[in-house]
Amino acid sequence: MSAPKKRLLTAGRKESLKGYLLIAPAILLLSVFTIYPIFYLLHSSLHDGSLLSKKRNFVGLDNFATLFGSVDFHTTLRNTIIYSVGLVAVLMVLATLFAVWVNGEAQKRLNSVTLAAVFTPHIISLVSVSTVFLWIMDPQIGAINFLLRAVGLSPFPFLASSRTALASLVGMMVWKSLGYYSLLILAALQGVPKDIYEAASIDDTPRVKVFFQITLPMISPTLFFTTIVATISSFQVFETVNLMTQGGPVNSTNTLVYQIYSDAFKYLKLGIASAEGVVLLAFVGILTILYFAFLGKKVHYQ
Amino acid sequence: MSSITLRGIRKVYGKDVIIPDLNLVIEDGSFTVLVGPSGCGKSTTLRMIAGLEKPTAGEILIDDENVVDTDPGKRGIAMVFQNYALYPTMTVRDNIEFGLKNKRVPKAERDRLIAEVCEIVGLTPYLSRKPSALSGGQRQRVALARAMVKNPKVFLMDEPLSNLDAKLRAQMRVELIELHKRLGTTFIYVTHDQVEAMSMGDNIVLMDKGVIMQRSSPKEMYHDPQNAYTAQFIGTPPMNILTQMVPGAWVGFRPEKVTLAPAEDAALTIPGRVITREQLGAEYQYSVDTAYGKLMVKTEEEAQERCLLRVRRRHLYVFDTDGSRAPLTPELLDRLAALPREEVQP
Repeated sequence: MSAPKKRLLTAGRKESLKGYLLIAPAILLLSVFTIYPIFYLLHSSLHDGSLLSKKRNFVGLDNFATLFGSVDFHTTLRNTIIYSVGLVAVLMVLATLFAVWVNGEAQKRLNSVTLAAVFTPHIISLVSVSTVFLWIMDPQIGAINFLLRAVGLSPFPFLASSRTALASLVGMMVWKSLGYYSLLILAALQGVPKDIYEAASIDDTPRVKVFFQITLPMISPTLFFTTIVATISSFQVFETVNLMTQGGPVNSTNTLVYQIYSDAFKYLKLGIASAEGVVLLAFVGILTILYFAFLGKKVHYQ
Repeated sequence: MSSITLRGIRKVYGKDVIIPDLNLVIEDGSFTVLVGPSGCGKSTTLRMIAGLEKPTAGEILIDDENVVDTDPGKRGIAMVFQNYALYPTMTVRDNIEFGLKNKRVPKAERDRLIAEVCEIVGLTPYLSRKPSALSGGQRQRVALARAMVKNPKVFLMDEPLSNLDAKLRAQMRVELIELHKRLGTTFIYVTHDQVEAMSMGDNIVLMDKGVIMQRSSPKEMYHDPQNAYTAQFIGTPPMNILTQMVPGAWVGFRPEKVTLAPAEDAALTIPGRVITREQLGAEYQYSVDTAYGKLMVKTEEEAQERCLLRVRRRHLYVFDTDGSRAPLTPELLDRLAALPREEVQP
């Protein structure tokens, strides 16, 4: 019994065992709900079969070949990218301008009221917003077209035309998300030390130059962060498409996640849907890597 | 180089009157230090000269030109901030160059000026670094270089050394004095530290609650205070002022002018009991309990527990009960001489 090497639980091992024990619940949850599904997704994307039967055959990369050979999938990808880039670009520019405006000296009294008005859409359920906008943007009985007709303009087709449907969805999401992103950017603006602006005013800096050479670089970490987050979330647009357009008219609003849903649960093509899931995973993965790669370079002192 | 005149300056924030009525002339080429406790309005005064704050009333003249409505960038001033206020996203070089670009100085001229200034403050090896990669002292030098390169008429400095450690602060103090000699420009320097004020300024303005308490050279500040406030602000520890000793007058003397050994010519002798003793290098600092309150004594002499504090006539200061300086009259001297010299045992 005197030989110390016989002991299995040395102090160091005990300590590391305690560590594993403490992270075990997290590892378990992560494994069951994140890691296992990812591998299951990858596995399914290499097999055929339907949700209704147990039979699965290995088909290699056939699902991906079918997918990338299909014109419809090209349309879906293009729609998703146009939607994301359009939404994020418009959102970031408007949110930045709005935040700068709210942060300005002259607007101190407006702040809380304006912020509340712009922020409220963010806390309303997307389903309610979609339903309301279905009516607002209705070509015949909608509120906007009622106003357009009242001033003598021709009505706008919105969701009814393949040319304007995607843009209409972007417009609605801009309205809904503007407050949230403005708030994030406003917080960043208020974190910029006042004395830097004072130094700039003593340096006789024109206002436009202050904005582009001091304000923008100072809030760039936040802008970068919000851009990535907004892009990732806009890539996964689903509820609005499902509720308002079901991908139509003529596939003009069919986006990646909606197509995954249709292929899996409408057409029961599990393999194809999984392959689309892998494509989505790849897109989001690339964006996340980009985010972390740039994050390290964007930290300022103080 | 220019003189600055503040005429009837008043500054009010909401209901708070920060500065009721300030009149001050700062001579061309002087090193003027605005000193006072926090909230005395010294920084506000500096910021009004810079144009970062607008006075509620009054005129600010730089070279006889009223600049109250002039933008900070057009006043020909440069400012060094307490937190340096460097542009964190720009390199040292860009920080220094920024103001020059705004003034549309040609590229060749800019390069020459930057090289020259960086040589003076010793920043040449760090030109391509970001402020985050510099030490506190180096950041301070960047802030100085940024101010110097504009060749301003007036340098404004708002507690520029307070973020540095004690050793570096002493070193930068000397460098700033040298810089002032070399440039010959008007310096206005704000600090709450009387040691900094005394050692750097050739002209000190002591403020309290927005009012100038005294304005004079450092020597005069120490040896000839015009009021009890100045007497107690300047000097460590502050001057002992005895308000209970003789009716109708306050008597003051500096802790470092007290003699413990018998002195024939002492005009004032106070019995006391030593409460605490601190060793400050060559000297001791005693806290002494007397019939007139607790007094401070700073001396190289060793004190017994029971001691007599002796003060010579030339070290005595007299103030009226409103705090203003009063003459030391022969009659008052007689009354001081008649005070009991031995401690009355209860």
